[in-house]
Amino acid sequence: MPDQSTSQKSLKALSPEQTAIEVRNLSLRFGKKTALRDISLKIPKHSITAIIGPSGCGKSTLIGCFNRLNDLTPDCQVDGKVLVNDKNIYGSRQNVPILRSQVGMVFQQPNPFPMSIYENVVYGLRIKGITDRRILDDAAETALNMAALWDEVKDSLFQPAMVLSGGQQQRLVIARALALEPEILLLDEPTSALDPISTLQIEELIFGLKQKHTVVIVTHNLQQAARVSDQTAFLNQGELIEYSKTDTMFTMPLKQQTEAFITGRFG
Amino acid sequence: MQNFNISGHISGKFNQELESLKNAVLAMGGQVELQLRRTLTALRSEDKRAAEKIIHDDNKVNEMELRIDDECMRIIARRHPTASDLRLVLTIVKINADVERIGDEVERIARMITLTDLPASARIKADMFETGQQILEMFNSTLNAFARMDSESAKRIHTDDRKVDEKYKHLLVQVIQEMQDNEEIAPAWLDILWSLRAMERIGDRCKNVCEYIIYFVEGVNVRHDDTDFADE
Repeated sequence: MPDQSTSQKSLKALSPEQTAIEVRNLSLRFGKKTALRDISLKIPKHSITAIIGPSGCGKSTLIGCFNRLNDLTPDCQVDGKVLVNDKNIYGSRQNVPILRSQVGMVFQQPNPFPMSIYENVVYGLRIKGITDRRILDDAAETALNMAALWDEVKDSLFQPAMVLSGGQQQRLVIARALALEPEILLLDEPTSALDPISTLQIEELIFGLKQKHTVVIVTHNLQQAARVSDQTAFLNQGELIEYSKTDTMFTMPLKQQTEAFITGRFG
Repeated sequence: MQNFNISGHISGKFNQELESLKNAVLAMGGQVELQLRRTLTALRSEDKRAAEKIIHDDNKVNEMELRIDDECMRIIARRHPTASDLRLVLTIVKINADVERIGDEVERIARMITLTDLPASARIKADMFETGQQILEMFNSTLNAFARMDSESAKRIHTDDRKVDEKYKHLLVQVIQEMQDNEEIAPAWLDILWSLRAMERIGDRCKNVCEYIIYFVEGVNVRHDDTDFADE
């Protein structure tokens, strides 16, 4: 098990080729309210990074910066840089729709569209202008397989997505994101509305995804962060308190605040 | 990072559970310490009846060990401890086993007192008693270091084990010399040798407990390395 200093140094020492997302001195304000303060971190490629912290600490705001989702909020002002594949996504030349296909996102509540399972999965591809049925069929099968849903829905692809269970709907939404072949997948509390078995299925799926993708997951479930992630970032009141390997953080955290939060002494 | 405060959780019940667990280990340590003290008294006075009671009382320690193990398992299953809480529970699992084994070593010394008319000279008996006092003090200090989660004291005690080892080697030479003059009662001498070994092992087990305390407080694993705290 790495010690505290080795764990933190190895994350700081990542080269640009090893880094999926680099955040440099990122601050974000909504009007006069500061949501993120001077955050810097590097997220390694093909790994799972958990972001933990109390409600309102800025977890969802931070991952919203990774695909510029916060741009949709009025009065949002961003300082600093977010580099995806070594390119600043807040630069003036960034094409935001392309960024969002490169950096997919799944939310807390499963939100399938009111259409068939198949149409849900290929929705993004159709938006991109792909109409070739064979390409769409292959993409749907691949994405549903990756989301560990194919075996359960292959005989009912044209049934409405709404008939699926909550856990299946969430995997369908993940499949919809995966169909666009994003490099990075952002998951904002993806299992908080699911039962324990569906939660474990999603966690198993997330674990498999890191072979091809970089996954960033926001979670309120500390055990989930400990189970699935390779490294964990702890945020409090918009500040990054600690960022280290998950093994280290859950056995020997560096900061007193982290210790207090993960052992339930916060408040 | 150092954190000795095992309370302060939002869950008051979890605070109580950890506090009770720690107190249970101290109570068990206190029982073993009492038995060691009684054993030394019985050794000095060659009181076989007192030694038999000490052997019988080892059952109390065994029962305490099982209860502490069960409680550790329950806390891991229900509370999912992390960070210092996790280190505390793991430390207690390890200390629990070592303290129970110290109880077994005390029982071994007491058994010698019941079985044998000690053939050793008054000098060896005095030295055995002195070594016993030394390990009693070492064990008492170890329990205090655990109660206070004091890693600095633990490092000092860790170093003190060398004195016990030296004393053991010295006594071994003396015993072997006297054995050669009284070869006809070899089994009794073997009992004495086993008891000396038990005293030396109590020192080693105190050293183990100190290593767990250092791990809990500092998060550094010093087992199986050649760290000499006397040099620090």
